[in-house]
This record gives sequence, C-alpha cells and structure tokens, in this order.
Amino acid sequence: MLALQTWIVHALFIFFTTESVGELLDPCGYIKPESPVVQLGSNFTAVCVLKEKCMDYFHVNASYIFWKTNHLTVPKEQYTIINRTASSVTFTDTSLLNTQLTCNIRTFGQIDQNVYGIRIISGLPPEKPKNLSCIVNEGKKMMCQWDPGRETYLETNFTLKSEWATEKFADCKTKRDTPTSCTVDYSPVYFVNIEVWVEAENALGKVTSNHINFDPVDKVKPNPPHNLSVSNSEELSSILKLTWINSSIQGFIRLKYNIQYRTRDSSIWSQIPPEDTASTRSSFTVQDLKPFTEYVFRIRCMKEDGKGFWSDWSEEASGITYEDRPSKAPSFWYKIEPSHTHGYRSVQLIWKTLPPFEANGKILDYEVTLTRWKSRLQNYTVNDTKWTVNITNDRYIATLTARNLVGKSDAAVLTIPAYDFQGNLAESKCYLITVTPIYADGPGSPESIKAYLKQAPPSKGPTVRTKKVGKNEAVLEWDQLPVDVQNGFIRNYTIFYRTIIGNETAVNVDSSHTEYTLSSLTSDTLYMVRMAAYTDEGGKDGPEFTFTTPKFAQGEIEAIVVPVCLAFLLTTLLGVLFCFNKRDLIKKHIWPNVPDPSKSLIAQWSPHTPPRHNFNSKDQMYSDGNFTDVSVVEIEAANDKKPFPEDLKSLDLFKKEKVSTEGHSSGIGGSSCMSSSRPSISSSDENESAQNTSGTVQYSTVVHSGYRHQVPSVQVFSRSESTQPLLDSEERPEDLQLLDNTDSSVGNFPRQQYFKQNCSQRETSPDSSHSERSKQVSSVSEEEFVRLKQQISGISQPYGSGQMKMFQEISVADAFGPRTEGQVERLETVGMEAAVDEGMPKSYLPQTVRRGGYMPQ
Amino acid sequence: MGEGGRIFGDKRPREPESSDWFEREKSVSRRSPHPEFPWEPHLGATACSGPVSMKKCTGIRTILQGVVPLLLVLHWKHGAGSPLPITPVNATCATRHPCHSNLMNQIRNQLAQLNGSANALFILYYTAQGEPFPNNLDKLCGPNVTDFPPFHANGTERTRLVELYRLIAYLGASLGNITRDQKVLNPNALSLHSKLNATADIMRGLLSNVLCRLCNKYHVAHVDVAYGPDTSGKDVFQKKKLGCQLLGKYKQVIAVVAQAF
Repeated sequence: MLALQTWIVHALFIFFTTESVGELLDPCGYIKPESPVVQLGSNFTAVCVLKEKCMDYFHVNASYIFWKTNHLTVPKEQYTIINRTASSVTFTDTSLLNTQLTCNIRTFGQIDQNVYGIRIISGLPPEKPKNLSCIVNEGKKMMCQWDPGRETYLETNFTLKSEWATEKFADCKTKRDTPTSCTVDYSPVYFVNIEVWVEAENALGKVTSNHINFDPVDKVKPNPPHNLSVSNSEELSSILKLTWINSSIQGFIRLKYNIQYRTRDSSIWSQIPPEDTASTRSSFTVQDLKPFTEYVFRIRCMKEDGKGFWSDWSEEASGITYEDRPSKAPSFWYKIEPSHTHGYRSVQLIWKTLPPFEANGKILDYEVTLTRWKSRLQNYTVNDTKWTVNITNDRYIATLTARNLVGKSDAAVLTIPAYDFQGNLAESKCYLITVTPIYADGPGSPESIKAYLKQAPPSKGPTVRTKKVGKNEAVLEWDQLPVDVQNGFIRNYTIFYRTIIGNETAVNVDSSHTEYTLSSLTSDTLYMVRMAAYTDEGGKDGPEFTFTTPKFAQGEIEAIVVPVCLAFLLTTLLGVLFCFNKRDLIKKHIWPNVPDPSKSLIAQWSPHTPPRHNFNSKDQMYSDGNFTDVSVVEIEAANDKKPFPEDLKSLDLFKKEKVSTEGHSSGIGGSSCMSSSRPSISSSDENESAQNTSGTVQYSTVVHSGYRHQVPSVQVFSRSESTQPLLDSEERPEDLQLLDNTDSSVGNFPRQQYFKQNCSQRETSPDSSHSERSKQVSSVSEEEFVRLKQQISGISQPYGSGQMKMFQEISVADAFGPRTEGQVERLETVGMEAAVDEGMPKSYLPQTVRRGGYMPQ
Repeated sequence: MGEGGRIFGDKRPREPESSDWFEREKSVSRRSPHPEFPWEPHLGATACSGPVSMKKCTGIRTILQGVVPLLLVLHWKHGAGSPLPITPVNATCATRHPCHSNLMNQIRNQLAQLNGSANALFILYYTAQGEPFPNNLDKLCGPNVTDFPPFHANGTERTRLVELYRLIAYLGASLGNITRDQKVLNPNALSLHSKLNATADIMRGLLSNVLCRLCNKYHVAHVDVAYGPDTSGKDVFQKKKLGCQLLGKYKQVIAVVAQAF
C-alpha cells in the first residue's frame, strides 16, 4: 500500500514537472546562428530575434535586448538594433575558445529574463600536414605518420589516402588517440610504387599534404635476424663464428648488417666495421678477440642500399673464445725458513694465480724447476700456489711456469741465494743492490741502487777526439768510461787544451756529458787537448789529442773565389761585347783590310804560281767575305787547232801589240788599277770599248814587297790598260781573258795562259784613291809553255771519253748561261772547245766573271 | 576497397584488399574504349564466357544496357570464347598518377619474388590437401591446364608484356578461386591461405606495373584476357585437383617468365 502511494506521488510529480518544463522550453526568441564555429581572431555577429508573443506579453522590443557572454554583460556599444524584433551583437577578434552567449531582456523594468543561449566554438582551420613518412614493418601493414601542424582547438579528422598508378586503395581514418599516424588495412605490395598523402579536415576547412611516392620495399623495416648462435674455434683462440637465420624478406631483397659485441662484464658495445657486413650473409667470423673470454653478440639488418630502416636488434647470444697458452708467467717469490738439519734449509716458494686475461684458459697445474749451481735441474709439478722444499745452503735458481690446456706460460725465474751470502765485496767495484718488497699478496716493485764499497780514481782516463773542427772552435767528444775502469762514480771531467807556445787551459765538464765545444780558438793553430775523469777519490788523464784549426772557415774560400770569378767573367763579357760593337773601328786601326799582293789574282799570270793553289786561295779569300767588293776575271784559254776566224783576228791583233811592246815595262807602280786586256784584243768591238774609260794599254810591274812581310812568290809583269783601282769594288767586271797561243814553235799544242783580273770599283764610295790598279800579263817563255803542255797532257791523259762528254755538256750549258747576261765572250767558247778537245783539267777551265766572285766551271 | 564489386561472388569471404583486383583490370579496360573498336562488349563476352562467376556477368549487364546494344549483338558470337586483340596503339592511357620510371626493374623483381615462392606454395598446397596428393603428384598435380595463356619468351618486349598481362590475370583469377575453395576445404591451413593471398597481392602489383609499362611505352590501354574454369560447381576432389594442377603449372611457367625478363 505504501509502495502504491509512493508510486502515485512520483507519477504526479513527473506529470506536473513535465507540464511546467514544456512551458518553460518555449523560448521567447532565438539566436542566429544556432551553433557557430568561429575562426580565432575573426569577427563574429549574432542576431537575437524576439517572438511577437513574447513581446506582447512582456511589452518589450529589440531595444530591451542585452547580451551576456559567460554571464557577463556585453557592452552596449557592440549592439545593433536591426528592427523592432531583432538585435545583433558583434565581437571583433574572437579569442575565446568556448563561449556561452545569451540573449536577455529586462521585463517590467527590473526582471532580467533569458531569451536564448548558444555556445560559440572557436578554433583554427587545419594546417597542411608535413613530414609525411611511412614505414613497412616486415610482415605487417604499412604505417604512415605525419606532423599535423598547429593546434586547431577543433575536432580535426585526418585521412590517409593511397593509390597505385592504376588503382586506389581504401582511405585510412585515424583513430582518436593517434591522430598523427595511420596503419593501412591492406598488405604492402613490394616493387609497386604507391602514392600517399594526408587530408586534414575540421569545421573550418580541409587541407591536403604533399603527396609522396615510393616503393614500399624502400620503406621496409625487416624483422631482425633470429637464431643467432656463437661458436668458437679450437685452431684460433681469437675468433668466434656467428650464425643466424635471416628474415624471410631476404628472399627478394639484399641485406646489410650491424654486428655488435661486448665482453660479458662490459656494458659498452663494439661494432664490426659496417663495410665488412655490407652484403647478405648468414654467418660472420669475428676476429681479434681475447682468448678464453666470453663475448655477447647482437645483430640487426636493413636493406643493402640503405633505403628503409634498420631492424630491431636480435636477441643476444654469447660464446667463449678458445683457450690459449698463458700469456705471462706468474709472480714468484720465496721465503727461507731456518732448518734444524745442518746444511739444509727450508724454502717456501709462493706465487699468485694468473688473472683470467693472462691465464687465457683454465690453469691445470704449475711446473717448478730447481737448479743448483752447475748441476742438473729438478722438475716438480704443483697444483697449489705455494710449495715448500728443503734445499742445501747452495745457491739455487728456481723457475715457475703455469700450464693450461693449450700450453705453458713463459718461465718466471728466481734466484735463491746461498745461505752464507755475506760480504766478499771488493773495493772499487760497482754493485747493483736491488730490494724487492714483499707484501701479503705478492711482491712489490723492486728498487735498485748502484754502490761501491770504496771508490778509487779511474784506472784509465777518457779518450778525447774531435768531432768537428772549425776556424775558431772545435767540438770534442768522448766515450763514457767502462764500468770496469771507473772505480767509482765519475763526478766530472776536465778538458785541458793548449797551443804549442801557449798556456794550458782547463775546462770542467759535467759527467753526464760526452761532448763539449771549445770556442775562441785561434785559426790555423795546432792545439793539444787531453781529458781527465774524476771520481771522489781522484782523477786520471787520458791520452793527448792534437788537432789544427783551419785557416779559413768552411765556405770562406768559396765566398772569396766565387765573386772574383764572377767579376772576371763579367769583365770578359763586357770586353767581348765592346769589341763586337766596335769591331769595324778596331779592324780599321789594327788590321786594316789591305790585300796581299802576293795573293793578288794578277799574280797568277805567273806560270810559276800553281794554278790550283791560286784557285784555292781565291776560294778562301772570297769565302772570308773580306773582299766582297773585289771581282775576279779569270780567263783561261787554250789554242784550238781550229780557231774561229774572229778569234784568229783578235789574236792577231793581240800578237801585234804584244810584239810591239815586248821587252818593255812601264813601271806604273802606284797606278793600281787593273783593267781588262780586252780592248787590246778586239778593239773593233764597239760595245766593249765603250765601257772602257781608258783606251791606252799600260804595262806595269807588280810590286815586289808584299804587304806585311808577305813576299810575292814571283815577280811578274802585267799589262794593264785599265784605270780602275785594283781592289776597288767591282761593278762591271771586265771579263775578257785572253789566251795567247800563236807561238808557232809550239805548233798545234795549245798554249796555256790565263789571267785573272780583280778589279774593285766602289762607285758609291768616293774613297777610291786607296785602290790599286794592277795588270799582269804573263810573259811566258817557251820553256814554261812546254812545261805547261806536259802538265796538261799528263793530266788529260787519264780522262776518258766520259769525261769528255761531261765537259761538252758543261760547255753547252755554259754557252747559254752567260749569253743571257750579255757577257758572252767568244774567247770563252774557244777555251771551252780547247778544253773539250784536250781534256783540260778543271782548274784550267775559263771562268766567267760574276758579281762578287767567280764561279768555277 | 575498389569501386567495383567482388569477382568471385558475395559468399566468398575474401580479404577486402585482394577481392577486386581483377575487377580493377576490367575497369581499366572500360576506361578507354576506342571509338572505332568498342571492345567493351567483347571483354564482357569474353569474361562471361568463362565460368568464373555470375557476379561479373551482373556487372557486365549494366554495360549491356548502355549505348551499344546493337554492336553487342553484332559482335557477340565473333568475340566469344577467345582472347581478343589488343586495343589499337593510339588508345589513350590514363593513370591516376604518372607511372614510375623504374618499371621494368620492378617487374623483374616481382617475377623473381613470385618465382622464389612458387615451389613453396605448391608444396604447401599439396601437403595441405592430404592424401592421395603428396604421393601422386604426377597423376594429380601434373601441369595439365587447358586454355592456359601462352607465353613466348623470345617475343618483343611489348608482346611479352601483353602475354604476361594475360598470364597473370589468368593466374590471379585462378588463385582467387583456389583461395576461396581452400578456405572452405582446409579452413585451418592458415599458412597456405596466407601464402595464397600474398601471391595474389604480388600478382596484383605486377599487373599494375605491366599495365603502366604498356600504357607508358607502348600506349596499350586495353588487353583482353581469358580466365580458367570455375571450380565452384565441382566436387571437393576436383577442386583440390584443379588447384594442384594450376599451381604446378604456375610453378613451371613462372620460372620461364622470370627468365624471359
């Protein structure tokens, strides 16, 4: 019954409550917008519209409206009355994130009544997601993550989108707790490029990240290698071999590895050089490890080309390297205990176990040997680290080695002194006294000192010698005295040195030195030096050493000689240059260019002058270039058996003249012009005669005395009809040569004659007075003709027809050559023919006059 | 995940990521029909001629209601039952984004990946089927597959890629059928299911790459494909046997194909 009453009361309460709430929920107006989302910092305007019913009921209009934000009244300046029913409020630069805005009216002048309320949500649009990256954990799905950018204060959804070039995949929606990463639903497919991007969206906007395109195989994080195991090698105690099983991804991509290791006790990992593990493998041998040491290993892998991610580290695996022989002998010492047995004593040998890094394995036992003075050794094997033995009072040498599975250590050696070891020390002998402290856990570091029972002066003095001797100083050196002769501690040395006449000087030197420099010495002086070594008890001199200081210091001579040589060289060079520049002047004054008459070409008229010699000298002369202004006319003619009529005519004229002038000589001496004889040969030749300035024929005698002790070889007469200076520069070579062979006594044999004409005519130079004129006409005796004949016939004999032919060809060529120059002479032709017929030697061939020289035919 | 429907029927519990890879291929074909050679009905006819599934035919039916009913009637018999020629060269290829430049290398890697896992898949399959399969491989799992697409290793790259596309499409569909059957016949052979799905995924990626390559380099936007026999109506032993034969053939062929590239 009570329960029924209670139920009824509740039901009535709910009924009335519902009724009243229904009344209250009918608002007096409303606010637009209903549920705004406002961007932070922007303006926002809300409008409150009153209902007519309410306005009538409360007798209000829009001007009665006032606004509140979070129960605070908004200033009226922000209100705007739009019309009778509507009023707006504007907020500039909204910064409030979550604001309650209410529209209120004041009724009956005093009662504030809330009309409507909204909640303003403010925030920011999403920023473009950045740093999008993906990872493919092997065997799992791809996961991408990104940087979402600034806080938006709004609910923002991120969607990861992905596609192949040919196909789109389902979107990946982020979960609420991980808004910056998403794991896709599909399994990764390797070797197909996928494009991925993120879309961020909230109430204020949507934005897309940059797209990334990649092959998932380049984003793989492989599973770590598993089943890592370690094994050692009996052959090598410094290696351990690792083996493992790669993850299944190794089936289609290549891997590289990181292998790290440490000793069991250490916490620091060492790493195998990555270049040693840069390719796919399933085992690796680690080297340079310590023997009998436990190592811990771990390994990880990634794609060989470095694209992707390192796997996690594998599970650790450990292994112990194999044993090696102990690397060090145990520390070893002894205790002597007095023994009751006469002649014997009890000695306890004690040693320390080797630390693991020196034992290199498990020590199985120790081997002790005892050797009495000059007797055979005795071996003992001990398992403990101490051993007591009764030995005689003699001196013993004990050794100790530790043994493990692989081998024995080096031996530690200990000398057990004889029982009566006391004194017997000699004077002036050096003793090394060593004291080794013995602590409870073994021996300490020994200390040693040298000592003498009693010192004495050295038995020998040091031997001094020079190391280097300079002009004013000398470096002396010596050897330390051997311990045998020291007889005590050498405290200092004294060096004595003196010249032959001077006083002795002494210098003290510390005993630690073996070298000393004597300075302020006199140059070029003999010094005598000796040295003494001193102990506390006295000194002893060494042998005397003699040395001489040099006169000049090193390099001094060079410093003098080199500049002198250079100066001399420079002077010579300047002299040569001067001479070269003034060579014309010097030549004029010292050896003026005066020709040697004996070598004058006119001298060759003489039959005594060997023709060939003259030719040669002429060659030399011209080749010197000193007589470039001398022209040579060399006419060589031979009688032909059948001379041309013109020739005969001219020869007749010549003969007449020769007959008329024979035996006369006009000593024209200073008249030094040598002219051609041609006008006298063919006076009828108008062209030739027109060139001659002198129509007279002169005879002259060539000067006897040569120039500067040069004696002309022959004295000859020459006929000259030229007024040209003898050595003047030649401009117009008068180039006729005449051969006179009309002597009937000779008969048909060609009478050899030739003359040369050197005529210098320096037309441009007014200084032609210096020139000489000479003409030589050989007055050839019959005997000379005979001799010439014999010579020619003798020479011509060996020549055969070939030679003849050659000469013919030459003559033909020569006949055309000069003709073109207008200098063809008929006599040349005659001469040529003679040469052809008689086989004349080359030197007798007629010469054609050329400017500046001649050309042998 | 794709926009198309499932290939092998709604009842088949397939993973969403591997359910519609074949449908995508069809959509590629649909994307660029040549105006003069509207091969879409042909593809539909080809696809429906094989006993793959009714779902696919339902999808095609929507096309049949399109603008080409007359052409469909004209070409129906002509194209039925045999792979159709390739779309003309100047057909437009459209991809969602530009294809990667390293496609051939990726194709080679995918083939190596398939080749590397084919034998394990075969062993896993016949082991999971139980007797008499493991001891009668020659009789039951011999590579006697009818209508298997040809592959000529000595052809041009274009020909090889087209044949590869047909081959992988055929194998992918067949693997789908095998996966569906095995999930019913051997629901506990999870590693086999996983391996089958992984292989199908690789094939899906391979088809994408091959299509990209054909589009990019040879402007081939459409390759007609044919599929193997449907096993849905067959008895359990026949399903197992056909699957074993197919995987044996696949193991054999993929080695040749991997070598050819």
